[in-house]
Amino acid sequence: MKWLIAIFIFHISVALEAQTPTEPERVYIKIEVKGLACPYCAYGMEKDLSKLAGVEHVDIELKEGLAFLSVPAAQKPTREQIEAVIVDGGFTPGEIVFRSTPFKRE
Amino acid sequence: MKNIFVLLLLLPVIYLRAQGPPITTGTPVMLGLAGSGIRTFGKFISKENASIYVHPFGIPYNISPKFQVGGIVPFKWITPKGSETSGGLADMVLFAKYQLYKRDGKAKTFRILGQVKQGIPTGGTASSPKIGSGHFQTYAGIVVGKISSKVGLYADVGYNFIPGPAADHFIYNFSVSVPLLPQIYPQKQLNVLLECNGNYIISPEIHTIFISPGLQFIPGRRILFETSVQLPVLQQNVLSNQTNYTFLLGTRFLFN
Repeated sequence: MKWLIAIFIFHISVALEAQTPTEPERVYIKIEVKGLACPYCAYGMEKDLSKLAGVEHVDIELKEGLAFLSVPAAQKPTREQIEAVIVDGGFTPGEIVFRSTPFKRE
Repeated sequence: MKNIFVLLLLLPVIYLRAQGPPITTGTPVMLGLAGSGIRTFGKFISKENASIYVHPFGIPYNISPKFQVGGIVPFKWITPKGSETSGGLADMVLFAKYQLYKRDGKAKTFRILGQVKQGIPTGGTASSPKIGSGHFQTYAGIVVGKISSKVGLYADVGYNFIPGPAADHFIYNFSVSVPLLPQIYPQKQLNVLLECNGNYIISPEIHTIFISPGLQFIPGRRILFETSVQLPVLQQNVLSNQTNYTFLLGTRFLFN
């Protein structure tokens, strides 16, 4: 009998775990935007990068000319898509880094 | 007054961080007002023989990252000494800017634009004093800017053609811009500028140069306030037409 109860509880717990929504996996992206040297330029870049699918928030580090964003892994943009946004914004794309964990910021 | 000028000249050396767009000089960065913004300011001009208030509205539109067109709609009121005020729509201007050269680096850029402006004589000339020039005017020039995380240097030079008996003139402006607050985005920014505005009329030979200290306050992502005073350092025109000073107070606003 004890075995039957144990098996029953095990099945219930597995079923509940399968139904619990989990945070979707995200991709974190650091983008070097060459030429980003004024606050109004930063606003334009922030606005343009926010239009990429899945992007909810863009952080701009004006001093370093960097943009940080994250997207659900399923909506990860290609390097070429990001570069196109930067070129269309009037800047020059630099290094673009994709990671599965957030970037450490100063 | 001399001490203030010396301080303003030294500011670029003291504060080596970033800067905002110049106030009375052109900028080679065609981004901030890229098709969804407006620039407007009120400019009060105190002259020996009159007081003038000019209020333009400038609306640019970016056709591409390299090509911008736009229009300026100015309103002007003139009060001659001992006479009544006359005012209304002044000469409208259409402009186009094209990026000729760009070199971007980490938090810095160097850009050169070519620009043309076409003045349209929409200002009234029937009343006295005249609000408009009565002439179509064509300006051609270049805008150069070197903007880095340390300092912003800007210059625009050009030639203004006026057909008919009116004299052509050569216009040049220079600007140095530096911030007074740390460079973080988004944040409140306070920028100080020192600009020089020159106008050289070829015939009859009249040369005027103004020195223009200015301040810019950026309280958020989409709005900027700016003020500037233009003080004459050289005026070769007739005494009655000389300028005592000009005062500018304006804003630039980006729509979402």
